[in-house]
Amino acid sequence: MVRRSAEPGRVDAGPGEKALTSGTRRAPRSLIEIGLPVVVMSVIVLVLPTFLPAFVSSQITKMMIYGLFGMSLNIIWGYAGIPSFGHAAFFGAGAYASAIFILKVGITNFWLNLLLAIVATAVIAAILGVPAFRVFGVGAGNTNPIYFLLATIAFGELLSRLAIAVRPVTGGSTGLSGIPEPDLGFGFRITSFRYYYLVFVIVVICLFIMYRVVNSHYGYALRGVHDNERRMQALGYNTWLYKYTAWIIAAVFGGVAGVLFAYYGKTLVPNTFAMITSDIAFLLVIMGSTTTFFGPLLASVVYVGVEYAASLYLRDRWPLIFGAMFVITIMLIPEGLGVWILKLWKKVIRGAAT
Amino acid sequence: MSVALVTGLNGLSYAFILFLLAAGFSLTFGVMGVLNLTHGALFVLGAYIGLQVVDSLGWFWLAVLLAAVALGIIGLLLYFFFLKRLYNKVPEQAVLTIGLGYMFANVILWIWGPRAQNMQKPEILSGALEIGGLSFPIYRIFICGIGLLILALLWWIQDRTRWGAIIRAGMDNKEMTVALGVNYGLVSTLVFVLGVLLAGAGGVLGAPIVGAFPQMGDNLLLLTLIVVVVGGTGYIQGTMLGALVIGLLDTFGKAYVPKAAMFFAYIVFLIILLVRPSGLIGRRIF
Repeated sequence: MVRRSAEPGRVDAGPGEKALTSGTRRAPRSLIEIGLPVVVMSVIVLVLPTFLPAFVSSQITKMMIYGLFGMSLNIIWGYAGIPSFGHAAFFGAGAYASAIFILKVGITNFWLNLLLAIVATAVIAAILGVPAFRVFGVGAGNTNPIYFLLATIAFGELLSRLAIAVRPVTGGSTGLSGIPEPDLGFGFRITSFRYYYLVFVIVVICLFIMYRVVNSHYGYALRGVHDNERRMQALGYNTWLYKYTAWIIAAVFGGVAGVLFAYYGKTLVPNTFAMITSDIAFLLVIMGSTTTFFGPLLASVVYVGVEYAASLYLRDRWPLIFGAMFVITIMLIPEGLGVWILKLWKKVIRGAAT
Repeated sequence: MSVALVTGLNGLSYAFILFLLAAGFSLTFGVMGVLNLTHGALFVLGAYIGLQVVDSLGWFWLAVLLAAVALGIIGLLLYFFFLKRLYNKVPEQAVLTIGLGYMFANVILWIWGPRAQNMQKPEILSGALEIGGLSFPIYRIFICGIGLLILALLWWIQDRTRWGAIIRAGMDNKEMTVALGVNYGLVSTLVFVLGVLLAGAGGVLGAPIVGAFPQMGDNLLLLTLIVVVVGGTGYIQGTMLGALVIGLLDTFGKAYVPKAAMFFAYIVFLIILLVRPSGLIGRRIF
């Protein structure tokens, strides 16, 4: 694993602060430092749709969904040091589960549907996690999860094959279409304009929970597992259980992103599980940086923006551009956008303070 | 019985194509710890370069040679410009090579168009061999032969040559190998080039059987991963065993239980992960 991402806590710490090591509780940071960007961003995102045409707010909805997807992968990759390559398995599981519950089972209530999809995703993650963590650390030593990468690639593909094969339930290779507008109960129907706000609320709730998780004792234990698993074992931690539960937590949030995506696109194809979707999550995390919490959200803004521009002007060359984004990220900004923005923000704060 | 024999040959030839596909990957991955996920796309690129050569020059053997050389050069460039800088950073290598894979696939689509292409077999290898009332396509027998040849060659390099010794030493302890004055950088560069070169040659050789279309790289990459995980890495015989298991299982599955066949490889894969995560003949490092 990469050394720089081996110290997730350290990047957050400013030069004046004591460098944080895993396992110690972080002192609450100044309200301005975190609160201001969060509030400003939230207000901007909330106000935007009233000014912008519908197709732009639709892209912002997509940014939020992909941002949640990327950040869910970041829980296991950035914090626990487990670069799962099959995160689309959970995105797809959430999306398909919700679509199947609506279309085949007839559960129209959004909240019940979301809950069921979360349970389904968690079950699938719990099942796949057992073989996955058998191979973690096999290969080139404990710090080099090369075999795990290979194993997880196949998971998403396995599920997409299943989605093709189980035609009566999943619609086969044509997928599922005609997912209705979400029904929130109390006769309150959601239009695509209001869906933007629903996504916003759910993403904010998820981010809040995720933030609390990675900054809890549990989250620090995960960083400890990342930094030095042997030492954590010696300290009496059941590191397998930590990795396994982190895997399920990440899967659940990936599944929530999938549910939102199902309602957003209204159509699902087996590709939702496939390598291409996992690769998007992978790109979001590496582009956003594995060492910051919000990085993948930034990356998803860039990614969706580029994707939209490409769909207008260079539709045929999109895979080339998509691939180039990976290469440019790795060769030019290997530490990611998140770190870059964070440094900039620190500078601004310090400039304002003096 | 007779059907089973023909299916058996089909399965064997498929297994050898899988071996040609996975050998290069296994070499770079198992020996150097370099995860080259462009491998599927490079295999397809080899096939297309071969097709182009056959189209314009009409000589199959030259196509194999030229595709191998072209891919070797691409491999060298990849190694020097990108992968050399990412030594021991596996997730970074993965991200980079995924991106390059998409780019290669799109360039192939750009140059040769989206249509699936069929490669003509060379004259001498077309037709079938009649044995006891059964007809075996000669090309499939040829693929088995050439696969065995490459297996023998790689096995010999691995076990009997100085280079093989250096490679094996490097797998065990790279620092110590370098400290002993071995030019490990040169050896690993050449191993990487050999791996990519094998993909190119394999692409051309496999094209008359599996065909070629721009998006097939993803599928091939998955098959490669499954073969490598099932067989285990670090030893060429492991890759062969993995290819045999997957190739035969897939072919017989498709012949007898076509509906379930596409899951056989995955089921074996999951069982191997659970029971023997280092693969059938893998190095046990944990």
